[in-house]
Amino acid sequence: MLDSIFNQNYFEIFSLDVSTDPDLSQLNEKNRELQQQVHPDRFASGTDAEKREAMQKTSLVNEAFNTLKNPVSRLQYMLSLKGVDISAETDTTMDGAFLMEQMEFREEIADVRSQANPLDVLDTMTADVKNKSADLKNSFADYYQQDDLDKAREVVRKLQFLNKAQKEINQIVEQLEDELI
Amino acid sequence: MALLQIAEPGQSTKPHEHKFAIGIDLGTTNSLVATVRSGKADTLPDENGQHILPSVVQYLADSILVGSAAKQNQVEDSQNTISSAKRLMGRGVEELTEQFKSLGDTLPYEFSVTDSSVPRIKTAGGDKSAIEVSADILKVLKQRGEQTLGDKLEGAVITVPAYFDDAQRQATKDAATLAGINVLRLLNEPTAAAVAYGLDSGAEGVIAVYDLGGGTFDISIMQLKKGVFEVLSTGGDSALGGDDFDHAIADWIVKQSAVDATGLSANTQRLILREACAAKEKLSENEQVEITIQFDKTQTWFGVLTRDILNQLIDPLIKKSLMSCRRALRDANVEKEQILDVVMVGGSTRSLRVRELVGEFFEAQPKVDIDPDRVVAIGAAIQANALAGNDPDGNLLLMDVLPLSLGIETMGGLTEKIIARNTPIPASRAQDFTTYKDGQTAMAVHIVQGERELIEDCRSLAKFELRGFPAHVAGAARIRVTFQVDADGLLSVSAKEEVSGVEASVEVKPSYGLKDSEIESMLKASMEYAGEDKDARSLREQQVEADRVLEAIDSALAEDGDEMLSGEEKDAILKARSELAAKRHNATDTQQLKDAMVHIEQVSAEYVARRMNASVQKTMAGHKVEEFDTSDQPQKENCLTKLKSNPKTEEKT
Repeated sequence: MLDSIFNQNYFEIFSLDVSTDPDLSQLNEKNRELQQQVHPDRFASGTDAEKREAMQKTSLVNEAFNTLKNPVSRLQYMLSLKGVDISAETDTTMDGAFLMEQMEFREEIADVRSQANPLDVLDTMTADVKNKSADLKNSFADYYQQDDLDKAREVVRKLQFLNKAQKEINQIVEQLEDELI
Repeated sequence: MALLQIAEPGQSTKPHEHKFAIGIDLGTTNSLVATVRSGKADTLPDENGQHILPSVVQYLADSILVGSAAKQNQVEDSQNTISSAKRLMGRGVEELTEQFKSLGDTLPYEFSVTDSSVPRIKTAGGDKSAIEVSADILKVLKQRGEQTLGDKLEGAVITVPAYFDDAQRQATKDAATLAGINVLRLLNEPTAAAVAYGLDSGAEGVIAVYDLGGGTFDISIMQLKKGVFEVLSTGGDSALGGDDFDHAIADWIVKQSAVDATGLSANTQRLILREACAAKEKLSENEQVEITIQFDKTQTWFGVLTRDILNQLIDPLIKKSLMSCRRALRDANVEKEQILDVVMVGGSTRSLRVRELVGEFFEAQPKVDIDPDRVVAIGAAIQANALAGNDPDGNLLLMDVLPLSLGIETMGGLTEKIIARNTPIPASRAQDFTTYKDGQTAMAVHIVQGERELIEDCRSLAKFELRGFPAHVAGAARIRVTFQVDADGLLSVSAKEEVSGVEASVEVKPSYGLKDSEIESMLKASMEYAGEDKDARSLREQQVEADRVLEAIDSALAEDGDEMLSGEEKDAILKARSELAAKRHNATDTQQLKDAMVHIEQVSAEYVARRMNASVQKTMAGHKVEEFDTSDQPQKENCLTKLKSNPKTEEKT
C-alpha cells in the first residue's frame, strides 16, 4: 500500500505544491491521513515483512512531515530539489555586512544579563529575528522563482544563522525563567 | 460485534472471533492489568478483589512472593524484598548508588559483583536483576489476565515512562520476554492516559498530561483529533517521583530525631520510609500529622509534620517537574493559553501541593476526576485491543516521539546528534562516515543518548563495531550507517560501505555502565554549560583536526615521502609538522591551532596533489576507463579537503 511515496518528493507526499508557504493545516491533515494507512500499529498482527515495510514508510512520512513543518529545513529541502546541497562545505562566500551584524547580535545576546530587564530585551530580540526571517523567506521565494539558486542558498544560510541565534535566545530565556522559580 | 458478546469472565462465548490482549501498567510502586471486554476497558482484580498489585517481590530460599504479601514483609526482610525495581531498570551499579544517595548513602540491597553490566541484588533466592524482578511481577499480571479471560493471550501492551531511554525500554522488553509475554507495543504512559481520557471525554484539541508516579515523571503535550493522538513533545525525569517525596520526609525525620544516620540498619531505614509515606498520604486529608518512630528498644522519636513543612520539603521537587513542563511547551511550539486540559495522572498527583503548583503554572484547573492509578492500564488495554485486530474499522492511532536525542561519538569525545529529541517515531536517519587511516577496514561507533555536547555527559547506549569493508586510502571509504528507531522507541543500526556496496557486519555491545547524572540534570546542565561546552568543543575539534593532519602527514611521509619530495621540500614539511605538534599540545585557543594547520596545508599542498595523482593512476591501472564513474569518485575531491576530511557540523543546522 502507498508504495508511491518512495518515488515522490516530500511536497508530493502531502499533495502540496512546492512552496515556501505550504498550507500547514493541509500538511497536518494529510499527515494524519497517511499515518492511518502506513503506521506500524495498523500492522501489529501482520507478517514481519509487513511490519518492516510499515516502519520504513512511516519513517519516511515522518521525515517528510518534519522537514516541511520547519521553515528553514523546508527551504533547504526546496534547494535540494534543484540539486543544491546546503550542507556542503564548499561555499564560503557570505555577505560580510550580514556576518558583522550577526556577530554583534550574538554579543548582545551574550551580554543580555547585564540589562535591566533581560527578559523584555530577549522578547524584542525574538520579535526581531521573526521579522528578519520573514523577510528572508520572502526574498528566498523570489530568488527561487527566478532560479537564482546561489542567491537562494545564501538566504538559507542567513536563515540558519538566525535560527541559531534564536536557539541561544531561547536557552537564556529558559535559564532566566529557571532562576525566577 | 461488541454488543453480541455477553459473556461471564472466564467463559467467553466466541473465543475464536475475539483475540484477547491485555494492557499492563508496570509501575514503580504499583502495577495493574486491564483488558477490553464487551467493548469496555477495565482493570482486572485478583481473587481477593484487589486491582492494584504492589510492585514488590520477596525472594525466599524456596519461593517467591509478589505483591501485598511481599510488601508486608518489606520492613522485616528488607534485604530479600525488592521494591521500586523500575528505578533500577537499564542502569549500572555506579549509577544506582549515585541515584539513591539518601538515608546513609546506601540502597537497602547488597549487589553481587559480576562482570555483567547489569547489576544483581543478592537475595535468599539467588542473585536477581531488576529485569528478573519486573518479569516476576509481569508473570503474576499475565496469569491474572489468562485466568480472568479463560483464554490464551494474543499479547500485551506494556507501558513505560515517556522519558525512558533506550536502555530502560530494552530492559522492560527483556522483562516481558522473560515472563513469556508477546509484546505488541511499548506504550508511553502519558499517551496511554490520554487515550483513556480522550476517548472518555471526547475532547479535541491540545492537552497536557502531567504524570507523576512513584519513581518517574513525564509531561507530554499532545494534539487530539478524531481518534488520532499526536504527541507534539515530551519531557520529564526518569528518576523523580513520589519516592523522592518519601525520601525528603524521611531525611527530615532523621534530622529532627538527631540519630546517627549512618548507623541505621536497612530495616530501620525501610521503617522510616514507610512512616514517611504514610504521613505524606495523611497530609492530603489533614493539616498536620503525628509521627512516632521506634528506632530500637531504647530510642523512640515523636514529632509533628505540618502541611507547611511538607510543602517546603517537596516544593523543590515539584518545581523541577515544572521546568520540564516549560521546555515541553517550547518544544511543542505551544503557548499555555492553547492548552485545553491539563490531565493529572499517577498516584503522586494526589498531593494537594502538586495540584496547586501545576494549576498555577498552566494557569488552569488541572483535571483530577479520573482515577490516576488506573487510567494508564486502561489506555494500554484499549490500544492492545486495537493492535490485536479487534478494532478493524477504528480510527484509533497513536503517534509518539523520541524523548531524548540520539547521537554518536565523534573524534575527541564530542557528540554529534543523529536524531533530535521530539522527532516523531518511527524514524530513520542515515549518516556517512569515512575512514581516517589508510587501509582501515573496521570502525567503532559509539551511540549515546542525551542533549549535552561532550560524550561523557550523555548516556552511553551501545558500542558498535563495523567490520569487513574493503581497504581504501584514508577518507575514500564511505560507510553509510542507518539508525532506525521503531514504534516502541527502540534503536537498531545497520551499515554499508557505499563505494564497494559491501554490507558491514554490526556487532552490538550494550553499555548501561556510565555514571548517572540523571537525564533531567543532563538536560538542565546542557543549558548551564552551553557556553563552556562551546569553547571546549571548538578547541577539542581543532585538536582532533590537528591529530588527523599529523597522522596523515606521518603516514604519507613514511610511505612515499622520500620518492616524491626533494630533501628541501621534506624539511619544510617536517618543520611545519613539529610546529603544529607543539601547538596541538600547548594551544589554549583555537585560533593558534587553526593558523598552524593553515600553514602546514600550504606547505604540503603540492605534495598532497602529487600523492593524489599517483593514487588515481594506481587505482585505474589495469581497468578500463568506463569502469569509473568519475562523478562519484572520491579521488576527484579537492586535495586539501581530503587532508581535513570529515567536515564537522557546526554550521549545518
